[in-house]
Amino acid sequence: MRKRGVWAVLLLPYLLTVSSPLDCREEQGSLSRCPSISQEKLLDRVIQHAELIYRVSEESCSLFEQMFIPFPLQLQRNQVGYACITKALPIPSSKGEIQQISDKWLLHSVLMLVQSWIEPLVYLQTSLDRYDAAPDMLLNKTKWVSEKLISLEQGVVVLIKKMLDEGMLTATHSEQGLFQYDVQPEMLESVMRDYTLLSCFKKDAHKMETFLKLLKCRQTDLYNCA
Amino acid sequence: MMKKAVELVLLLLLLFFTPHIMGKRYSPPGKPTLTRCRSPEKETFTCWWEPGSDGGLPTTHALYYRKESSERVYECPDYHTAGENSCFFNKNDTSIWVNYNITVVATNTLGSAFSDPVDVDVVYIVKPNPPEKQTVTIMEDKGWPFLRVSWEPPQKADTRSGWITLIYELRVKLEEENEWEMHLAGHQKTFNIFSLRSGGKYLVEVRCKPDHGFWSEWSSTSYIKVPDYFHREKSVWILLTIFSAFIFLILTWLLHMNSRSLKNCILPPVPGPKIKGFDNQLLKNGKSDEIFSALMVSNFPPTTSSNYEDLLVEYLEVYVPVEQELMQEESKDLHGGCLKCERSTSDSDSGRGSCDSHTLLMDKCGETKEEGRHTDRASSRMLTEAQRHQKGWEKDTLTYAHGDMVSPDMSNGRVKTWPSVFSPLPQYSSNPLDKQSSLEMAKQHCLSTSSCLTQPGHSTKEALGPSNWDFCLGNKQPHLLHPQTQVGRQLQAHSEVNISNIGRKQAPAGLQSPALRSTEYVEVQRVNEEDLVLLQPVVSGCGRIEGYPQMPKGKDYSKVKGVDSDNMLLLQREVMEEDWCPGVDQEINGGTGNCYTSSTVNTTQKPTACIHTAMPVQGDMALAMNGYVDTATMCTLPTC
Repeated sequence: MRKRGVWAVLLLPYLLTVSSPLDCREEQGSLSRCPSISQEKLLDRVIQHAELIYRVSEESCSLFEQMFIPFPLQLQRNQVGYACITKALPIPSSKGEIQQISDKWLLHSVLMLVQSWIEPLVYLQTSLDRYDAAPDMLLNKTKWVSEKLISLEQGVVVLIKKMLDEGMLTATHSEQGLFQYDVQPEMLESVMRDYTLLSCFKKDAHKMETFLKLLKCRQTDLYNCA
Repeated sequence: MMKKAVELVLLLLLLFFTPHIMGKRYSPPGKPTLTRCRSPEKETFTCWWEPGSDGGLPTTHALYYRKESSERVYECPDYHTAGENSCFFNKNDTSIWVNYNITVVATNTLGSAFSDPVDVDVVYIVKPNPPEKQTVTIMEDKGWPFLRVSWEPPQKADTRSGWITLIYELRVKLEEENEWEMHLAGHQKTFNIFSLRSGGKYLVEVRCKPDHGFWSEWSSTSYIKVPDYFHREKSVWILLTIFSAFIFLILTWLLHMNSRSLKNCILPPVPGPKIKGFDNQLLKNGKSDEIFSALMVSNFPPTTSSNYEDLLVEYLEVYVPVEQELMQEESKDLHGGCLKCERSTSDSDSGRGSCDSHTLLMDKCGETKEEGRHTDRASSRMLTEAQRHQKGWEKDTLTYAHGDMVSPDMSNGRVKTWPSVFSPLPQYSSNPLDKQSSLEMAKQHCLSTSSCLTQPGHSTKEALGPSNWDFCLGNKQPHLLHPQTQVGRQLQAHSEVNISNIGRKQAPAGLQSPALRSTEYVEVQRVNEEDLVLLQPVVSGCGRIEGYPQMPKGKDYSKVKGVDSDNMLLLQREVMEEDWCPGVDQEINGGTGNCYTSSTVNTTQKPTACIHTAMPVQGDMALAMNGYVDTATMCTLPTC
């Protein structure tokens, strides 16, 4: 370890000096010499990431709904006493608010959303595992979503750092107070809770995607973005 | 000082040569190089490097990477998963948000070597695995087979969620070929291949590529054999070819059959000379004599009728009306020596005009038949009249003669006269043969009567001027006719019965009712310079036309021997053995004969003899001859 650390120290200036120029050239088929990903590319990737997350979450929610939720209760998901966990977050909810918010706040809002959903999704995963008849596809999807969400978080962090030149923001896992575990809830309640969870997440994922796309729109064409 | 320098030099030398002294060369390791980094699914990636020379010492390699935005250096987490000289980054270590700066370090005891750093963006180094579960099947589309290729994306690539979107490409070739046929399939996972060779064996492979990334390796080859199928298009073409060949054969055959007519149509033959008797071969042979002899037509120019009398023929057609009565006496042809049968009527070249004797005679024949009937009846009357009116006839004859002279159509130069002939024979009928015989008789009688008439004719001679008409009252009895002999006008008399003339004829002798009905035709041969119309007896009636032949030799013809000083025509009888009697006064054109006819004076005696002699002649002389004077009739002068 010492050796390696010594080598790393030794390498450091070497690496820094020998680094290729900052402007990236996208060359397929060859190792990129670009030291960092450009901001536009990064934003595109983050948007794509968010789109995927939303899509998968929508699929899993519908799948869950078909399997576990009786029809009469499908329309009532928001009226049940299980409110979305992120309701309390200072996130703009209307179009008017979104238009007024700055880029910084957009990004931060996205980050907040992402960070607030990481743990509940883990819980959801465990809850679904307890089901007897949960299909594998549903489980895989939810699992995938939780993984990608973490990745998305990383991306947004990098994006914030790049766009806003802010320092690294550590994941605030202290906000787990939003979510409270119930110990061994009843099956029906569990189902309803999970269902609520999924649907809320679906909405939030859509929010994330929308914010990011708006951000992108502002980057390219400031005056045409709504 | 010196020692230190020497030590330094020695040390340096040692340093330099120590490796050589050692006998083996150890060096720090060569510079490694990162060959490639690949990510199969955009979630993990692997980097491979190539080590440099190891310098003879065991060398270790280490890979260090640094994330884009941080200064922190990380070492490769996994050296073994991906094999030798590789570093595998698992999911946790892989981030699509940042670039990786990777360096490989080779280290041995003597030193270390650093490779060139490489920046890696995970998204751009994605090279998926080849597509999996590839299947090729043969399907049919309306009898035409085609290949359907289907595959699955590589398992690791998460295309379902859209994490990676792949495009596919496949290639096909026949087993025996060398070149592949590429097809880009896009995002779809099936593809159809058409236009297959019947019975061929095909190889199919598929590969894929993400949006930004590298093409995967080709999948494992699938083999497929196309079944044999019949080319429907070929069969249609074969049928068409056979059909057109068939049509072509038929056309050729038709063309061959009609080749001649077509040839005539397209290339009409050049008309060659068509000379009768002209032989091309003879011409080619070059013998002109034969050619021209062949050209010689036997009857051209017409030599048989070599009498130029014929050539000089101008026929004066004299039209004799039915009411008139004509009496003629035969006149002789005064040319040359002999009268010849006039055959020119049969000759189209005789110089006659449109008023051909043939046709006219035909018409007249028909007419005369009628007339004959009429005249028969009338003649009887007329004869009786003639008995009573003897004197009047002279004028009438004159007039008639004149009329006859005038009336005939002289325009064409041919005059035909049909003087009526009275024949005493009762058996006259419309029968042409009978006519002829009657004509003969009439002739005879005519002549005889004429001769008779000439006797007393002196009284009437003057009255009759220009015309000589012999009225022949046909009867066996000799009677009188007043032959008006005059030099100027003498007409041959073979004619039909003319009623009025008969009436005039008052014969001193009893004129019997002339039953003469025959029609005889007289042809005017020419008009001589003395205004004398020379008549020639022509075959009368219809029979004439057919039987208008050459002058039979066997006929009883008289020739003009000559004309004596008294303007007497001397006739010569050819056939008759009997002696001749002198005939009528006629113009003499010359001739010899053993029968001389004198004019009036001597005739008195003769008639009887002539008559008698004439009798047998009647039967013989069936035809009225041309140009021949019936001397028999002439000779047989009626007894006046």
